[in-house]
Amino acid sequence: MSLVDYTKFRLKPAEELRGTFKQVNRIFILSCAKCYKIFEEENEEEYTHLLDILGEDHKKIVGHAKIDFLCNNFLSEKRILNLDLSNCDSVGVNSCGLGIQFVAKLLEGKPVYALADSVWQSGDYATEIGYHGVSLEEEKCAGCSQCYLNLTGGICPITSCAKGLLNGPCGGATDGKCEVNSSLDCAWVKIHERLKKRGEKFTLESVPIRDYSRPSLKLRSDLSLQNQTLRGEGFYGGLHPLEKKGKTADKKIESFPEPKIAVIFLSQHAGRRATPSVRVGDEVKVGQKIGEADGFISSPIHSSISGKVISIEERIHPAFQSKDLAIIIENDGGNKVDPLIQPCKDFENLPKEKLLEIISERGIVGLGGAMFPTHVKLSPPKKKKIDTLIVNGCECEPYLNGDNRIMIQHPKEIFVGIRIIQGILGVERIFVAVEDNKLEAITTLNKFLDKSSSVEIVSLKTKYPQGAEKVLIKRILDREVPSKGLPLDVGVVVSNVGTVFAIYQAVVEGIPLFQRVITVSGENLAKPGNYWVKIGTPFKDIIEYCFDKKGEKFLEEYELKMGGPIMGISQTSLDSAVIKGTTGFIVLRKSPVKVSEERDCIKCGRCVEVCPMQLYPLYYSLYGSKGEPGKAIKYNVEDCMECRCCESICSSKIALLSFIKQEKEYARSSNKA
Amino acid sequence: MLVVQIKPEEEILPKISSKRLFIFECLGCQEVYFPTKEVEKFIDNLKEEIVGKASLDYLCNREFVKEYIEGYSKQIKKAQIILVFSCGVGVQIVSSLLEDKIVYTCCDTLYLNGFQGLTVQEFNCDQCGECHLNYTGGICPIAQCPKHMLNGPCGGSQGGKCEVDPDVPCAWQQIVDRLAKLRRLDKLEELVTPQNWSVGLISEPPVKRLP
Repeated sequence: MSLVDYTKFRLKPAEELRGTFKQVNRIFILSCAKCYKIFEEENEEEYTHLLDILGEDHKKIVGHAKIDFLCNNFLSEKRILNLDLSNCDSVGVNSCGLGIQFVAKLLEGKPVYALADSVWQSGDYATEIGYHGVSLEEEKCAGCSQCYLNLTGGICPITSCAKGLLNGPCGGATDGKCEVNSSLDCAWVKIHERLKKRGEKFTLESVPIRDYSRPSLKLRSDLSLQNQTLRGEGFYGGLHPLEKKGKTADKKIESFPEPKIAVIFLSQHAGRRATPSVRVGDEVKVGQKIGEADGFISSPIHSSISGKVISIEERIHPAFQSKDLAIIIENDGGNKVDPLIQPCKDFENLPKEKLLEIISERGIVGLGGAMFPTHVKLSPPKKKKIDTLIVNGCECEPYLNGDNRIMIQHPKEIFVGIRIIQGILGVERIFVAVEDNKLEAITTLNKFLDKSSSVEIVSLKTKYPQGAEKVLIKRILDREVPSKGLPLDVGVVVSNVGTVFAIYQAVVEGIPLFQRVITVSGENLAKPGNYWVKIGTPFKDIIEYCFDKKGEKFLEEYELKMGGPIMGISQTSLDSAVIKGTTGFIVLRKSPVKVSEERDCIKCGRCVEVCPMQLYPLYYSLYGSKGEPGKAIKYNVEDCMECRCCESICSSKIALLSFIKQEKEYARSSNKA
Repeated sequence: MLVVQIKPEEEILPKISSKRLFIFECLGCQEVYFPTKEVEKFIDNLKEEIVGKASLDYLCNREFVKEYIEGYSKQIKKAQIILVFSCGVGVQIVSSLLEDKIVYTCCDTLYLNGFQGLTVQEFNCDQCGECHLNYTGGICPIAQCPKHMLNGPCGGSQGGKCEVDPDVPCAWQQIVDRLAKLRRLDKLEELVTPQNWSVGLISEPPVKRLP
């Protein structure tokens, strides 16, 4: 690797530092832990060096704090304001100019001293700004907003020529070396050689005169402001992935053809696996219970078709990606419905306990993907006072439209479902949260909204992971779920809009959870769409139907993800089948390139920037790769909600989530011990 | 991190007319606004034959780009022109790896304030090599003042706004206000030594290579 260490600052000269310390009596030192360098150890070399320089004067230091990414104003502000600075008369900052300016602004009443000089990384004194991309490469870009690379064979004369000449060499180069500094290559010699190789010729006529006023100060500050606003919108961190929802947003939910064989997994919920209540050879009807819940945190399983149980065997489970027990049913095509499925008109008068029993018996679990048994979620411990229900219709993953379509097509049913939950929880305040990219859903819900009810539809700025529980609660109620806590610790229950609809179906129509809405979308699909799919429909059926091709070589050419493209789980077997937590199928053409080799963390800080839980994911990979589990606990690894923002933005393509899972597992087992 | 704008069509289209194209598209630094939709539209409107397209993030990472060039080698061989949608760093990486190919960029690059670090800020650091913030109450006259005045205002500001661009506040007005708040206006009496602008000319690169 030809990486370059872009250390951005160095301690000021000793004389100057001693001078500064003559002016102060009690100083607090803030050091930035530096960015854009290989991230190995937390070393304190520079601080020790400072103490050496100061000699006796070091006694004036009343405190020292080291902060990662000091210029990350959001996180650093919290940390600095938490420090006890009452004892000092001034603050010294060892960081690049950004960190110093930030601290000076934050602590406006206190003298703030720069202890470091920022290091120049550019060759362009006209724009002053030297800049590199995210990776630590030698190429620089001055952001001149008037790119000349098309004329110069892809070698930048602004950053590579000491004189910034745009229309040919100055004539001072000797043997291809620059006359300003003979250790450097002449940029124009390189340009000439490159153009020759490309069969191109440099012509003076083609060079536009450089407009040194570009980019205007206004444009620059506007762009910065726009990006600042986008970043801070709604919640800290997060991403703006391409939405790609257009393909299926307007597609009405259609019924997917019934499977000939249904593969119904016994574990389709968080908690203990259900136990089969049928035997091989038994005839079953649509909606008949075929697996019993095993304990309170568990859920029963129902048949989605009528036919005969032909086997109870292990198949690759789509969520765990390991073998798990499933009931295999052969469809008799008779569509015989279980007589127990009866609509209930009188549901408004049912007591809370009865409603919970129905929800539990009909196998309702969270349909957003986590599959937590709904009856458990709706029975919070007595000492936790629940005052708010948030119905989650964000669906922030790209491609997916299932929840969106349910809101558009079944608004009335959703409001009935909400009333049922309201009855169970006894909550006063109810919010339906929808991202503002689903205008039709918002309009439809508002149209059917009973104005006298306490339901409020909130439109949220689109950003991933808006739909994460903790993010939603913070965003709507400004309540912070405590570390390692649950929404009910702050008096909130969050339920996915699809789950609310399933509750309606279970209570009012008497239908157990044996079908759900999924979005099938992605690349090269003949029939992308939103479908009512029977639980247990094998993936093979879905691929054959939506793809118009036999599925044999499918997994070689395409990547199949259950769920959205970010949090979805890559599938390895087409014999697996739809479960209650299947929100969609995304089919993406496999890239001919596999960037597999993991690279070292270069401390670019992107993962910290995007983490909605305000964590420092880089430490998880640091300790994880060093084989020092447990150290990450102090960086609150247990608060990670696995939204994968950090992993998808990592500039070194480090598999952060696997480290996080490892650390979480370690934390869990050491908590138990 | 840099941000790009698409170049005007009339600057690009004549260069590539009726040529076979291969496209490198950088997905950008996803936490900031990158004109991905505009790029998509631009590509859709191209009439030229596109023999292949690689989309990746961090086109500025040489290692990644190398692997992509290998993976798409057949298509790249067929192409007459490589079209790149990325910041200036990405374009330079691609053209240095495909030296005998014509590589064109479709973007102009700008930087966002504060992004020499990693967070967008309203202020900037120009990495001048000799930090003056101690004299100026922590507001940088080099980065914020278009004239880079180091020893006080130029005298041209009006109502606290810069005469170069009236939308921008005068850096020195801000410095004086900040120092007044700190009751340290005496700092302005100190004479700042002349800035060594030659640090800005390419001298020894201050960066060090990693093993």
